[in-house]
Amino acid sequence: MKGVLLAFLRKEFAQALRDPRMRALLFIMPVVQMAVFGYAISTEIRGIRLAAFHEPGDARARHLADRFFASGWFVPVPDRGLEPFALIQSGKADAVLVAPAKGLTRASGRGEAEVQLLVEATNAAKARAVEAYARSILAAVFPQPSGGGIALDVRVLYNPAMESSVFMVPGVMGMIVTLVTIVLTSMSLAREKESGTFETIIAAPLSVGEILLGKTVPFVLLGLADCVLVLLAGSLLFDVPSRGPLWMLALASAVFVVTTVSAGTLISTISRNQQQAMLGSFIFLFPANLLSGIMFPVENMPAAVRWVAYLDPLKYFVTLVRAVMLKGGDPWVFASNVAVLAAMAVLMASLSFARFRRTLE
Amino acid sequence: MTAVGITTSGVSKRLGRTQALDGVSLEFAAGGLNGLIGPDGAGKTTLMRILAGLLRPDQGSVAFSAGGRKVPFAEVRPTMAYMPQRPSLYPDLSVAEHLEFFRDLYGLAPEVYAPRAAELLSVTRLEPFRDRRASQLSGGMYKKLGLMCCLLQSPTALLLDEPTNGVDPISRREFWDLLYRLASRRVLIVISTAYMDEAERCSKVHLLDDGRVLSSGEPAALLAAEGAAGFHELFLRRADARRP
Repeated sequence: MKGVLLAFLRKEFAQALRDPRMRALLFIMPVVQMAVFGYAISTEIRGIRLAAFHEPGDARARHLADRFFASGWFVPVPDRGLEPFALIQSGKADAVLVAPAKGLTRASGRGEAEVQLLVEATNAAKARAVEAYARSILAAVFPQPSGGGIALDVRVLYNPAMESSVFMVPGVMGMIVTLVTIVLTSMSLAREKESGTFETIIAAPLSVGEILLGKTVPFVLLGLADCVLVLLAGSLLFDVPSRGPLWMLALASAVFVVTTVSAGTLISTISRNQQQAMLGSFIFLFPANLLSGIMFPVENMPAAVRWVAYLDPLKYFVTLVRAVMLKGGDPWVFASNVAVLAAMAVLMASLSFARFRRTLE
Repeated sequence: MTAVGITTSGVSKRLGRTQALDGVSLEFAAGGLNGLIGPDGAGKTTLMRILAGLLRPDQGSVAFSAGGRKVPFAEVRPTMAYMPQRPSLYPDLSVAEHLEFFRDLYGLAPEVYAPRAAELLSVTRLEPFRDRRASQLSGGMYKKLGLMCCLLQSPTALLLDEPTNGVDPISRREFWDLLYRLASRRVLIVISTAYMDEAERCSKVHLLDDGRVLSSGEPAALLAAEGAAGFHELFLRRADARRP
């Protein structure tokens, strides 16, 4: 048993690490994707081009405009002698702040202050963000008198700056690890089938368990190496905090990698060649990524889709990584999600075991 | 070494629409070269795979014996080596890496492995190519590496499916010399080939055509009985007879 495992470990590592393309897939692609996705997949909007219209002597309006630009979300654009609407229409500005005709200073003195904000909303998500930023700035500049009203004291926990990278990076980590392990595992067994070496292996005096362990343990180890790599890249490039204990992260990653490698093995028991394995991997990967809650909250999905999302191992891993890294790792959240992943791993490994044939039929 | 024997009785196998084997009853005994002779598509590979346990017969059965005693397949399997016809080595691994991989698969101790690997490398004259990858070996060297991987565990039964296919005449001769040496150690050797001249090198031949056994016995006796000068003639006659 030990000898067989060692034989496969040496062979798979030699094969995986010798091929330059494979090395790139294993060690360079995860870091590059981490960097690209970490920056690109962002729900924050910065650099909103804002034109501010007010009378030259309107001190309050100028103060308000300055606060907009000081927020970091908005950058000033000159009006170029155009009307506010024309600025938006021509695409020279994303938003226009218009003070009242007689000046904001005078208007607010009369108690009827009203500023107009024109927002270009062809991208609804962006427009909503602009509106929310504008409201928060207005609320800071002109606090509402709280006579009898309820003042809302909002505190943002775990990610006070609401930086989306802090939220996205753990998700991207999960995506990358899933991609690498699923593709690598499913392709590896399929390649043996395609190249005829499978015939040699099943004719050798090995048990099904030995063959399956030999073909999976190397990829669990490579997957774990990728976890470490991606974690390091995440914390170095994006300053993602790691508030929870490291052992929680390590255990969650280990269980998750075993789960995805089992899924890859299951795919390879269904496929006859590498193309089928690749296709199978992608049929798994796309829904797994979209339903994982990395980009869209699972809670917002229709009930039927939500049930499918509950079958997605990536969803549990992303929940785990976010809970451990950002919130410090609540024991119950940790234990329940790890348990679900472990159950999935056991189920898929048993299915692979049952489906694996030591014959060519 | 316990002499292993294999007996097939009435083995039939259908692959898709083709009746690959049709009631094949043969006996393979240790201590000689058993040749499975037949043109392409005769069912040689299917029969080999059934002997190796990679396919199950639709009808009929395969029985194994060791030292004259009937034993289950599981008892023979650990010391049975099978060399498939199609390329089945790892193109990206070197000769030495193949030997090491199979050493670990078979769990060979270093003191058993080292002399045997050295002997095989010298007999096959692959020693200078230890570090060459399988994808860069010539056709003959590739087949010899395949055979070496089979012989590493000193098998009691050796199933070789067209091991000399596409190999140059000199390498083929070396290959056969190697096999004679093994046969003298009471190893059961079943070798299939479409090269009719190789049939005469076997101690016993089993002629297969279109999934059926034509005849089986010592090459010289068979030819004499049929009144043919060589096995080419025998198969050509059959092909002619089938033509309308």
